[in-house]
Amino acid sequence: MALEITEQDGATVVALTGDVDLQTSPAVRQGLLECLDSHDRVVVDMSQVNYIDSSGVASLVEAFQVSRKKGSFFALAHVSAAVMRVLSLARLDKVFSIHESIEDAIAASA
Amino acid sequence: MPDPISKSVSENTEHHGEDGEVAEHLRLIAAMTREFTATRDADVMAQTGLASITQYVGAEASSLFLVDDQGKELVCTACHGPVDITGLRIPSDAGIVGRSFKDRTGQMVRDVTKDADFGAMVDEQTGFATKSILCAPLALSDDCLGCIEIINKNSGDGLFDANDLTLLETMAGAAALAIHNFRLTQQVVTQERERHELELAAEIQRQLLPPAENSDFPVHGINMAARSVSGDFYDILPLSDGRIWFNVGDVSGKGMNAALLMAKTSSLFRCLAKGTENPGRLFDAINNELCETGTHGLFVTMAGGLYDPKTGKIVMANAGHEPPLLLDGMGDRFSEFEAEAPPLGIMPGIAGPEGYPAQEIDLGGGNFYIFTDGLTEATTFGGGMLGIDGARALIRQHADESPDLQLHSITGAVRLPGQSLRDDLTMVVIMDSQAVADPAAAHDEENEDAVSGQILRLRVPAKADRLKIIRAGTEHAAAFCGADETWTLDLVMAVDEACQNIIRHAYAGWDEPGDIVVDFIRDGDKLTVHLMDFAEPVDPSKIKSRDLDEIRPGGLGVHLIKSVTDEAIFVEPPEGVGNLFKLTKSL
Repeated sequence: MALEITEQDGATVVALTGDVDLQTSPAVRQGLLECLDSHDRVVVDMSQVNYIDSSGVASLVEAFQVSRKKGSFFALAHVSAAVMRVLSLARLDKVFSIHESIEDAIAASA
Repeated sequence: MPDPISKSVSENTEHHGEDGEVAEHLRLIAAMTREFTATRDADVMAQTGLASITQYVGAEASSLFLVDDQGKELVCTACHGPVDITGLRIPSDAGIVGRSFKDRTGQMVRDVTKDADFGAMVDEQTGFATKSILCAPLALSDDCLGCIEIINKNSGDGLFDANDLTLLETMAGAAALAIHNFRLTQQVVTQERERHELELAAEIQRQLLPPAENSDFPVHGINMAARSVSGDFYDILPLSDGRIWFNVGDVSGKGMNAALLMAKTSSLFRCLAKGTENPGRLFDAINNELCETGTHGLFVTMAGGLYDPKTGKIVMANAGHEPPLLLDGMGDRFSEFEAEAPPLGIMPGIAGPEGYPAQEIDLGGGNFYIFTDGLTEATTFGGGMLGIDGARALIRQHADESPDLQLHSITGAVRLPGQSLRDDLTMVVIMDSQAVADPAAAHDEENEDAVSGQILRLRVPAKADRLKIIRAGTEHAAAFCGADETWTLDLVMAVDEACQNIIRHAYAGWDEPGDIVVDFIRDGDKLTVHLMDFAEPVDPSKIKSRDLDEIRPGGLGVHLIKSVTDEAIFVEPPEGVGNLFKLTKSL
C-alpha cells in the first residue's frame, strides 16, 4: 500500500495504491486524518485501488466525518467498479462525494 | 608481521616515572585487547599478543600454554623467542607452569636452579639456558584457561622482579578474557551454521515427501515434524496400471541421524518399489540394504504395501510398526493389523528366506489408516494423551470426509495452536470406495460442469498480512467454478471479511495466533466455503443474533457478508476445530 500526497489546483490529492485491507487500512486512516488536519480540500485518488474491505471503508467514513466536522472538502475520485460495489453494498455510494476524475472533484470543491 | 603495539611502546618507555609506567601498562593492555577483538584467527591472536607482552616486559623468550578439554595436559599453543616448543604437552600439574595453573597464582622463579619443580628437559634438548621464569595464569572468575610463561629478563642481571610479575599477571588477565570471548564467538558462529544446515536438511526432507494428490485420489498422507527435521516419513507412488504403493515409517531416535536414515529408507523404498510387486520382498531388500551400510544402532519401523483400487484389496507388510487400522465401510467396526516381523535395519535376512510376511487385506469399501506413534502419543486439548481409543474415536468422527480433509481434521485435533508437537506425526489414509474405484471415470467427471467436491484448501496463520493470499486463493477457486467478475468479487469480500473476524475476534488477545483453514467445496450449483479457526470454541446454542452482534462488532463486515451470500452461519465444528463458519453462494 502506498499513499502519495500532491498539490493540484489548490487541492490536496491523496493517491492510494494497492489493496486497502485489514493490514493496510490503519496507515490509510492515519494518512487521511493527518492530511485533513492541515488541508481543507482533500481528494482521494482511488484509481489504483482494486480492493477495499470493511476496515478500509471505515477509514474513509472516519475521514469523511472529520471533514464534515471541520467544514472542509473531502471527495473520492476514479473509484473502480470493485470498490464501487463495496461502497454501494455498504449503502455509502450516496454518502460520499464521488467523482469520475480528480479534475471533476477539484472543480466540485471550488 | 608489523607490530605497532611494541613499536610505540619502545618509543615511549624511556622517559616516564612510576605514574607514567602505570598509564603505559594500561595503554598496552587496551591496545592488546583491541587487537585481540579484531583478530578472527586464534593462532595469529595468540602469537601477536605473546610477542607484545614479551617485548614489553623485556624477556628473551615466552610461551602460551592452554589446558586441553580434559584438563589433564597443558599444550603450548604459541611461542616467542629462539626456541619453538609449540605443540609441547606437559601434565597440567607439572613444573612451574603446572604450579601456576593449579594454584591460579602468578609464579616468579628468580633462579630456576633453586626450584625443585623446574623441568630442565627442554633446555637439555634445545641447548637453551633458562635462568629466570615468570608465569601467570590465564584466569577467569570460575575457570583457568592456561598460563603465560616468560623466560630470562633481557636487561640488568637477567632476573625478573615483583613489578614484572604484576605486569604479566595483569596482561594475562586481559589475554584470558580475549581468549574466552574469542571462543564464545566461535561457538555462536558454529551454532548458527548448524542451525542453517538443519533448516536446509529439513527443506530437503520435505522434498522427499510425495506431492499432494487431488482430493478424489484414494490415498493421501500427511507429515508433521515436531522439530525442524523429522524421523517419520510416508510415500505414495501411483503405478501406471492404477495400483498404488504406500508406506509409513518411523526411525527410532530423533535429530539429524534419524533424519538421514529416514531419507535413506524412503529413497530405497521409492527406488526398489519400481522393481517388484511383492511388499515382503521389497521390505527384505530394504532391510538388507540398510544393514549392509550400517544404521549405527538406529532402526526403522515401517508398514506399507500395494493398493489396487479396482479390487479394493491391499497387500501389506509390517516391520515392527504400530498396527494399522481398518474401519469397515459402515464406519462401524475397527480391525487392527499387528506387525508380523521385526523392524528394518537390525540384522540382514532377519525375516527368513521368504522375506517379510505380507498379508492381503480386503478393504471392502472401508478406510485404512497407517500412522506413527506421534498420533497415539499426541497431547489432546484436554492435556492427556490421545491413546489408541482416542485415535479411533477421532478417525470414526471424520470417516465420511474426503481423505485429505480427514487427515487435516484428525491431525488438527491433536495439534495445539502455538505449541509444537511432542513427536513427529505421520499418517496415511486409503479410502476404498466405489466412487473412486475407477480413477479414469473420476477424471472424466472433472471436466464436466456439475463437478462436486473440494476445490481448494488454504491453511494460513491468522494474520492481517495473509489476507491477500486468502483473497487470491478465493479468486482462483471462483475462477475454477467459472464464476463471473462480480460474483468473484463478492465471494472474495465475504471470505475476506469472515477471515478478518477470525483474526480480530476469535484470536483476539493471542500473542501468536493459530491458523485459519479455508475450504472451498463445490456442491452442484453452489459453492460452499468453510472457515475454521482453532480458537476458543463458541457454544453454537449461544450464537443468537444478539450475541452474534456482540462477538462480531463493527456490523459492516457482517452486513457485507450477508449481502453477498445465500447463507452465512456457524455450524457445529469438528473435534479440534474452534469454530466453523460456513458460507454458501449459488453459482
